[in-house]
Amino acid sequence: MKTFGFTLLLIMVFSVAAYAHTPLMSCFDEGDGTVTCEGGFSDGSSSSGVEFMVKQNGNLVMRTKMNEFSEVNFEKPKGDYQAIFNAGEGHVVTINGKDIF
Amino acid sequence: MKLLLTSISLTLLLTASAFAHFQMLYTPESALGQGANIPLRLVFNHPFADEHTMDMGKQHDSAALSPVEAFYVVHKERKTDLLESLKQISFKGNTNEAVAFAAEYAARRMGDHLFVLQPAPYYEGNEDAYIQQITKLVVNVAGLPTDWNSVLGLKAEIVPMTPPYAVWAGSTFSGIVMSEGEPVPFAELEIEYLNHDVDLPTNSMGSAKVEAPHDSFVTLSLTADANGVFTFGLPKAGWWGFAALGSGSDDEYKGKELSQDAVIWVQAKEMK
Repeated sequence: MKTFGFTLLLIMVFSVAAYAHTPLMSCFDEGDGTVTCEGGFSDGSSSSGVEFMVKQNGNLVMRTKMNEFSEVNFEKPKGDYQAIFNAGEGHVVTINGKDIF
Repeated sequence: MKLLLTSISLTLLLTASAFAHFQMLYTPESALGQGANIPLRLVFNHPFADEHTMDMGKQHDSAALSPVEAFYVVHKERKTDLLESLKQISFKGNTNEAVAFAAEYAARRMGDHLFVLQPAPYYEGNEDAYIQQITKLVVNVAGLPTDWNSVLGLKAEIVPMTPPYAVWAGSTFSGIVMSEGEPVPFAELEIEYLNHDVDLPTNSMGSAKVEAPHDSFVTLSLTADANGVFTFGLPKAGWWGFAALGSGSDDEYKGKELSQDAVIWVQAKEMK
């Protein structure tokens, strides 16, 4: 019963964390051949440790995690690409490279 | 005849002073999808009636205007001075033009960019007194809330309880009037709608959008509660200015009465 209660509590905590807040990402061109993407959630919570990917033509170019400042800096790929913030199912934000200035 | 003229002048004077002076800190958009360079305009005027634009920093004892005392932005608790970015301009209202300022700011990073403007006190000859409006504007990038409700401990300050860039027209905006971090009980507020489009390339105000049915609708009034808290319903999309009169800790400047006010700008959006 105790385990059930604890599990229920955990589910509730994760449900709140996963569904109550909208994932957010914003990227900008640093002008030095790199791009910085910042992530977060609509309640202001950190996205440190959230998976971040860069894809080109559907192929994975890089996969990493947002750093302690909820940021990632990466070399700007040549041509079209997508920056992807993956905070779990239904919580993915994708920004096209052509929209990053 | 002389009496009549005096009465008319008095009425005109009183009518003019009945419309609130407002320190505008204007940018077209407070909720940005992605980072951008944003234009800013600092103008001292009457946002609803626009019947007179004032020279910022006007003094009673000198023809020279006093410079802006402070202009900075707070982002993720880090303060960046923006005084050097100010360029003096002449801003054209619908009846006159006056000295104002323009700036551009790179709002690149995600989160809130909380601007604070502390102009020099302005000498209002009609009242033989000074007015200093310490003004806040919050611009958000990409929806991440960071600094919008920070208490900065200013001499006069409105601390929002609602993000000022995320308000539907027809809903409400709440805030706390504070002075040096403490609530100001029963603070008196004046509220005005920015009733004109601001044309950035020409630094001028457009024609009026709505007409007030009565003078009492030009500058709306509200009293905060015992904790300095107020709530106001915003009936129309656009910019709304809130000024808490005389809420600051300073009440004298150059031996004259000073009204040190807190101002915040709130942008309501149409639900469509």
